[in-house]
Amino acid sequence: MKDNPYIPIPVRLKRTEIESDDKTLRTLDFTLCDENQAFDFMPGQFCQLSILGKGEAPFGIASSPSEKGFLRFTVNRVGGVTTALHYLKEGAVIGMRGPLGNYYPVEKFKGQNLVIIGGGFAFTTLRSLVLYIFANRKHFNDITIIYGARRPGLLLYQNELTEWEKRDDIKLFLTIDEKVPGWDKKVGFVPVVIGEVAPKPKDTWAVVCGPPIMIKFTLLRLFELGFSAERIYTSLERRMKCGIGKCGRCNIGSKYVCVDGPVFSLAELQKLPEQY
Amino acid sequence: MQYKIEKNDISTLIDILASVYDLFGPVKTDGLTKLARIKSASNLDLESFNTDESAKDIFFPQYETIFNFKDGEIKNEFDKNRPIAIFGIRPCDAKSFLILNKAFNNGGVNDSYWNQRYTDAMIFAIGCNRPSQTCFCNWVNQGPFNKEGTDIFLIDLGDDFMVESCSSKGDDFLKNVSKITLQNPNPGDLDKVNQIKREAEILMSEKLDLAPLKSILDTQLLDSPLWNEISAKCLSCACCTYLCPTCHCFDIQDEKKPGTNQGSRVRMWDSCMFSLFTQEASGHNPRPTIASRMRQRIMHKFNYFVENFGEIACVGCGRCVRTCPVNLDIRGIIKRIKNEG
Repeated sequence: MKDNPYIPIPVRLKRTEIESDDKTLRTLDFTLCDENQAFDFMPGQFCQLSILGKGEAPFGIASSPSEKGFLRFTVNRVGGVTTALHYLKEGAVIGMRGPLGNYYPVEKFKGQNLVIIGGGFAFTTLRSLVLYIFANRKHFNDITIIYGARRPGLLLYQNELTEWEKRDDIKLFLTIDEKVPGWDKKVGFVPVVIGEVAPKPKDTWAVVCGPPIMIKFTLLRLFELGFSAERIYTSLERRMKCGIGKCGRCNIGSKYVCVDGPVFSLAELQKLPEQY
Repeated sequence: MQYKIEKNDISTLIDILASVYDLFGPVKTDGLTKLARIKSASNLDLESFNTDESAKDIFFPQYETIFNFKDGEIKNEFDKNRPIAIFGIRPCDAKSFLILNKAFNNGGVNDSYWNQRYTDAMIFAIGCNRPSQTCFCNWVNQGPFNKEGTDIFLIDLGDDFMVESCSSKGDDFLKNVSKITLQNPNPGDLDKVNQIKREAEILMSEKLDLAPLKSILDTQLLDSPLWNEISAKCLSCACCTYLCPTCHCFDIQDEKKPGTNQGSRVRMWDSCMFSLFTQEASGHNPRPTIASRMRQRIMHKFNYFVENFGEIACVGCGRCVRTCPVNLDIRGIIKRIKNEG
């Protein structure tokens, strides 16, 4: 049974930390139990994390290929597997399958400008992308990051965001929905901030991840600014089981989110039925 | 090369197969016919029409263990001791294996469980002298004597079977089979075959050209009220997908013995007709209505699968027609769609 795609490899929990102030989000760093095992991936790909006896669930890889020695996932506690992941103790060994799916087309982005737009906890694979770009900074031109959450405590990776703000080779805009004391950054929904920042569409690609309602109005705003559907990328989520295009549930039209995605250009999505 | 064997030799043939292969054939139990493991020809049922259950369960079991686990250790227990042979399935089921094989080996990732069983399997199919009223294999580029997906094809001549190899595996088998007399057919036998084929043709419903279906589904029917009409009486019970020889959607679940750290990860058939199939943890369901799920089922078979693999994922076996508790007839649905074009 060599090369059986259903058998997870063992990974060990190296670090676990609450990520949001409402405690629903937790960041977990894993190391491969077999240190000699190669694990090559690209920003945007995902893994199936697997707790024996509970089951599997898919999560985008939040660490970057440029970060060595661990794989990071940020998990929203909603069901059986995610709750079990939240209760894992450091040192625990679980299963992992991956990397699965396609990735952000970083080759296309090279020599170009990039606008990275995130909302809420959909910033995981965007963190991977941002750190990949930082590690290969000279290959990319202007980088603009717009990231919003309902309130400050729901922004992911806050320590890193603070570090990023100090960089002079990116433009970072953080925003929250409503003003709170002590917040000196932007206030307003992500699409509104995009309008204020007004990134120029020339030689620029946009990557958008967030809740559907944010995506909807973000796209309208990007179109107004002159971005074409070919130059806007997003990453989709669907209920998944196999992760390898066979179990039949994550399709949108003829495309399977698990193998043809999760990263799609808006032009590709426009050819597919809107839901289903 | 065609040969003739006497029907009396079938039990010898079955004995030979059972000695080498893990052998399956159509049997009748509790009034239902299905493909089951057989050791001899004694309970083989070649008289009944196409089995109530499809043959997919042999290579893609309704419930199978992916691996067992104990105290965090994974033990892969898959152990097939002998290659599988199937004797006596119908051309539609044989064809379905080719379709499933594509589905299980797409995207550059091969399904080890399917391949372990299917790759070296030996398939004996029998032509359908008397197609049923629910058969429509002629709509999907099939026919009652279609040999696709078979290694050896048989035609019932009454007292004899006409036998023909359709693959190198079949050639080897016929070359090495010694306990059975392979007779050369005489011209009368060949006339009889033609006569049988003609009579079967007459029993089939009129052929419908499904070539235009894909573009109609693609361009005109994505957001049609038609899906509400078609699915109005559907119970979402999923009988159609469970009995369908080409439906291959599955679920993966962990089963743990209470109070222990051991159990199994299993996969079992699932169905796009169930609302939980796509229900997400957030509460969002991209296919919340029966109409949206019916649309997925029809689109997958007649549009998406054609897009991805170049052929329709339906073999016209008619099981969904025979079994639907509310008499939803997929042929009627196809005709409705075609009329929209």
